[in-house]
Amino acid sequence: MLESFLNFLQNTGFYALISNGGTWLSSGSEAIKTIIMLAIACVLLYLAIVKKFEPLLLLPIAFGMLLTNLPMIKDSSAIMMHTEWFTDSQYFIDGHSIDVGMICREGGLLDLLYLGVKLGIYPPLIFVGIGCMTDFGPLIANPKSILLGAAAQFGVFFTFVGALVLSALIPSISFGVKEAASIGIIGGADGPTAIYVTKSLAPSLLPAIAVAAYSYMALIPVIQPPIMKLMTRKKDRMIVMEQLRPVSKTEKILFPIIVTIVVALIIPDAVSLVGCLMLGNLLKESGVADRLAKMAQNELMNIVTLFLGVTVGATATATSFLSAQTIGIIVLGLIAFCFSTAGGLFLGDIMCWLTKGKVNPLIGSAGVSAVPMAARVSQTVGQKENPSNFLLMHAMGPNVAGVIGSAVAAGVFLSMFSNI
Amino acid sequence: MSEGLLTGQNLSLSDALSMGGETTVIGLAIVFSVLVVLMIVLYLFKVIFYKDPNKKKTADTKQEPAPTIEAAPAVTEETDEEELIAVLTAAVAASLNTSTYNLRIKSYRRTDNKMPAWNRAGVTETINNRF
Repeated sequence: MLESFLNFLQNTGFYALISNGGTWLSSGSEAIKTIIMLAIACVLLYLAIVKKFEPLLLLPIAFGMLLTNLPMIKDSSAIMMHTEWFTDSQYFIDGHSIDVGMICREGGLLDLLYLGVKLGIYPPLIFVGIGCMTDFGPLIANPKSILLGAAAQFGVFFTFVGALVLSALIPSISFGVKEAASIGIIGGADGPTAIYVTKSLAPSLLPAIAVAAYSYMALIPVIQPPIMKLMTRKKDRMIVMEQLRPVSKTEKILFPIIVTIVVALIIPDAVSLVGCLMLGNLLKESGVADRLAKMAQNELMNIVTLFLGVTVGATATATSFLSAQTIGIIVLGLIAFCFSTAGGLFLGDIMCWLTKGKVNPLIGSAGVSAVPMAARVSQTVGQKENPSNFLLMHAMGPNVAGVIGSAVAAGVFLSMFSNI
Repeated sequence: MSEGLLTGQNLSLSDALSMGGETTVIGLAIVFSVLVVLMIVLYLFKVIFYKDPNKKKTADTKQEPAPTIEAAPAVTEETDEEELIAVLTAAVAASLNTSTYNLRIKSYRRTDNKMPAWNRAGVTETINNRF
């Protein structure tokens, strides 16, 4: 009787928290780290629920973080996520690929779901849904706006350099090229793309990068306007752009097919993302697969978003998250966002000058791909200068081009660094 | 590639900058080249699929003279867009409670945006709700 009661006590979280033999608790400071991680999870939950920062993603991420940091006895069958199986090479087959068999046999719920991230399944599926919700019409009507989507990838590469420099200057931070690429891609302002790159190149940074990417995306309306005002002239901000030409259904159907082929010819590593985006778009534009299109943008996307959020959050263990590197990532992520915005605005200014005032440079900042927030910010800032100006549709062009641009940038990084 | 660049440990500043610069140039070049190719494709789309309605000459649609009402006073340009004129005629007819047969649109002109503040607020709100 007493023995079974003691057994029960030794299985509780309280025991795990105070005992020295617990998984995370080999020393007293581990207990403190666990408590700090739980506190961070609660702060993120607060940001998601009260401040409404991208709640659809941040809430699952924060709760995943909570679940994974609950105090547990070592080797307890209740552990839902074994991060070390995915990052520590001593658990790998031949030291370099994850042991899917072992994870399937012995893994907890989150281990199994995390396979979808690790094997690169969720981000492309989310892209199918995003494709269904994207209208490339404004881009087709105004082809030059596609270049703004390319210019806004400047922050991605600038931050890549920044991360390497930071690691050269500060001894406690060590970012190699793979880590630098994963951090840089935050500047693409595209969550699934950032996760897709990071899970291949720097899986241990995944939680920090996902949290940084999604938090900054929620903060776009705060981050962008000051840069937009700084980099454009008031006179240019007031420019009313010509109405876009109507786009025929044929063009809308041909566009996704051609983009997929062009991207595959130039940068095959970007095809899993861009191809899925275009598949979703074709489902919608073709008009013959309405049921599939509705499913992809509602049920499929919602289910995958939940799985992705919870499992990415669950990779945030104290050892990987509580480090100087996380602070570095948060700072670099902000730099990435700012410079991507600036890159788009810079080309916007040039276009404005070349076309002698037909292009409002404010649409340049929409080249960061956070759809449709970035376009909305262009609209709001433009309307402040000229209340009868509607830039939204003009800004949607660069905005959707940014999605293609950041997926291509991701492909560049993957092709350069995934095999070294 | 040097050990420092792979792991980030003992990375020298010159290594970091040269690797970073190289990647930036190659990366941006690839991103731009993909999107420039797509831009060219889209310009081809415009050439192939889009016919500018202003260049299409349609037969003029003179109707019996009747009480004449102008949608906007000044004459600016004579673009004969049948559809637009049909819509304008219908709108005027509806607001005057008469038949389109009694009307003839002689000219129309796009006016500056004089939308009342309330309408504008409504449009803005709708846009913000949708996106």
